[in-house]
Amino acid sequence: MPLFEDTKILELGAGAAGPLATRYFAEHGARVIRIESARRPDFLRALFRAPAEAGGLDASPMFVALNADKQSVRLDLSRPEARALARRLVDWADVVLENFAPGVMARWQLDWETLREARPDLVMVSGCLFGQTGPQRGYPGFGGQGSAIAGFNHLTGWPDREAHGPYGTITDSLSPRYVALAIAAALLERRRTGRGRFVDVSQIECGVYSLSEMIVRESAGAESPTRCGNRDPVAAPHGVFPVRGEDRWVAIAVFDDRQWEALVVAMGSPEWARAPHLAALAERRSHQDELEARLAAWTRGQDGPELMRRLQAAGVEAGLVQDVEDLERDPQLAHRGHFVRAPHPHLGEVPLERCGFRLSACPGEVRRPGPDLGADDEAVLGGILGLSAEEIDGLREAGVVA
Amino acid sequence: MLDAVRVLDLTGEPGFLAGKILGDLGADVLKLEPPGGDPDRRGPFLGDVADPERSLAWLALNTSKRGITLDIASEAGRGLLERLLAGTDVLLDSFPPDRGDALGLGWERLHAAFPGLILARITPFGADGPHATYRGRDLVAVAMGGNLALTGDPDRPPVRCSLPTAYHHAAPEAALGIVMALHHREATGRGQRVDVSLQECQLQTLLGGVAVAAASGRKPRRAGARIGSTREIWACKDGWVSFGLRGGAARIPNLVATVEWMTECGAAPVWLRDTDWREFDPRRLAPAEVAAFEEAFGSFFRTRTMRELYEEALARRILLAPCNDAREILEHRQLRAREHFVRVEQPRLGACLEHPDSFARTEDRAVRVRRPAPGIGEHNAEVYGALGVGEAELARLREAGVV
Repeated sequence: MPLFEDTKILELGAGAAGPLATRYFAEHGARVIRIESARRPDFLRALFRAPAEAGGLDASPMFVALNADKQSVRLDLSRPEARALARRLVDWADVVLENFAPGVMARWQLDWETLREARPDLVMVSGCLFGQTGPQRGYPGFGGQGSAIAGFNHLTGWPDREAHGPYGTITDSLSPRYVALAIAAALLERRRTGRGRFVDVSQIECGVYSLSEMIVRESAGAESPTRCGNRDPVAAPHGVFPVRGEDRWVAIAVFDDRQWEALVVAMGSPEWARAPHLAALAERRSHQDELEARLAAWTRGQDGPELMRRLQAAGVEAGLVQDVEDLERDPQLAHRGHFVRAPHPHLGEVPLERCGFRLSACPGEVRRPGPDLGADDEAVLGGILGLSAEEIDGLREAGVVA
Repeated sequence: MLDAVRVLDLTGEPGFLAGKILGDLGADVLKLEPPGGDPDRRGPFLGDVADPERSLAWLALNTSKRGITLDIASEAGRGLLERLLAGTDVLLDSFPPDRGDALGLGWERLHAAFPGLILARITPFGADGPHATYRGRDLVAVAMGGNLALTGDPDRPPVRCSLPTAYHHAAPEAALGIVMALHHREATGRGQRVDVSLQECQLQTLLGGVAVAAASGRKPRRAGARIGSTREIWACKDGWVSFGLRGGAARIPNLVATVEWMTECGAAPVWLRDTDWREFDPRRLAPAEVAAFEEAFGSFFRTRTMRELYEEALARRILLAPCNDAREILEHRQLRAREHFVRVEQPRLGACLEHPDSFARTEDRAVRVRRPAPGIGEHNAEVYGALGVGEAELARLREAGVV
């Protein structure tokens, strides 16, 4: 039996950061229902896709990838009748996750203060950019702002260029892991005590917490980390080096003299690499320009995957800098079943993804792409709330289920 | 929330944060180091004194743990490790698969000897598969996981974050897997293996990028300070700010608000004030037109500091944020108001350091820094004493270099 087969999760929100958090539970058997509305659709449904194209709001590859194995019910929460139905779904749920701007749930009478008395066993997590309190809680930012404020931009790039941050607005991919953890931990506590709780997760604080080293170093008055290309304070060489093909690179990292010796041997012990001023790590660290230029001259023109295999076999940390096409072909990811190719009516076969860990006793699975908007109106309003087909039709005509 | 969960943390740097998260959640986390201290007690050091006790990375990433030393490769050490494991719910480590086996910590043996034990192991590529024995730390993981290729300027090599994001992503993921395994154990009494791959954790940073590429044929490219065709990171008087020159219903009002502010300052050219923003979509503009917009906004930003721009952005609901350094984060008004930083006394070192307190707020502060990171072997007497190891035996073990 899947681990969370009996767990019921209600999700309200949009974008990447909220929905990614519940995917872990869907992957492990939970029933996850998204409340959505065509009146104000999740912006993810329109990304990489014009609504006028075939499939419209149901065919954004990003949406279907990030919402795999969930259900969708339409409720226009600007309508009191819709809010009453949402309130009944809260009674059905073990967990409510939302990532609206602070205050929205309260306006709808769906906030923790309203719900806690009737549902002391509810686990509720809010996961917005800045948290539920504080003077800037209403700041309307996206992940790009989150990454900048939390410090990731300052740490990523070249010293003489912009502070641009890791690709893909890191707070959007990092914070859902903490939101999921908060849900799982609160559910474990509830299993033992019967009590639920409310957890306020700020995407930016998840980032700052992860960068604790940066904060502690600053607070100690020590050298503060800053962007420095690919170099590392305890390794040399440590960088990416060109290989055959356009924009193709291999990452190589040498943390001690034993690994350096292995690299030198793998290179065929060229005279430059045997120079005494490169033998010890500290010395290599002070000759990195020379070291990197020499190494790049050696790697250039070589086949990347073959070079990685050869260096790894020699005991050198090396990895191909993989692009999205490499990932789809990566033999390790294939072995791990990381991608599950699932058919989608408008997109063909979509490579859905597993999470970053495998549980040996309850492995879970990924099955279906994210749902069409309102795909589960009947299953949710009829199946869970017991509304008749006529009632559901009436709500549709009245624009409540819309 | 994890009170009464006992964790034995044998990780190196890839797993320090994972153990800290469990400790901050209330678990009793025991950090085990080799005698003399963990090799990842690296610099910079408190007070610039090169002493493993003063490693700031260690102090930052090992809060809420108690610390013991043990040579787990020695015979006497193995015996003590077995006794520790008997009282452990979760073994967390970051040994490569072959090294774990060699230490007698392979999954099959552990599961047979301790059926209730959860083994969480963070490795570069996971426990099995053709790359399972490949080595790699942060750089190799972000390379093989797809993020590195897309980070950096198009005219330079791909570039990573200077602090290890591979570990940042894997740590909460490992903690989540562990808590899921604890659910299973509550139900069945059985432990299991939580097999965490740094590479697989990285893929989530692409936010479905592989699916998008497969479905749309759109292959993302490294674009540095830009997203798509427009600038995202802008120079200002004293640093950099993030500001998306992008269209769409959620972003256009902020462009309008920015131009209003520029107009009030006499810094908006007539053509910019006359722009019809309703249908603004830079993807449909010619490069020269995009460049004109960028020059107009960019020359205004260059006359203001990060702080001036951010304060005004907050007042006017403009989607602009400073690229903060550590000092600016520590002074951030919102984070201060939420008491995101806590001062932690380091009695052994005579110092008091500020830490981010929590990744999750609850009214009872259930997630928080509970104690400073341990010194080398700080809790040996306490922990081994509880196992029934007397002072004389401990002294013998110390003499033999086992603890």
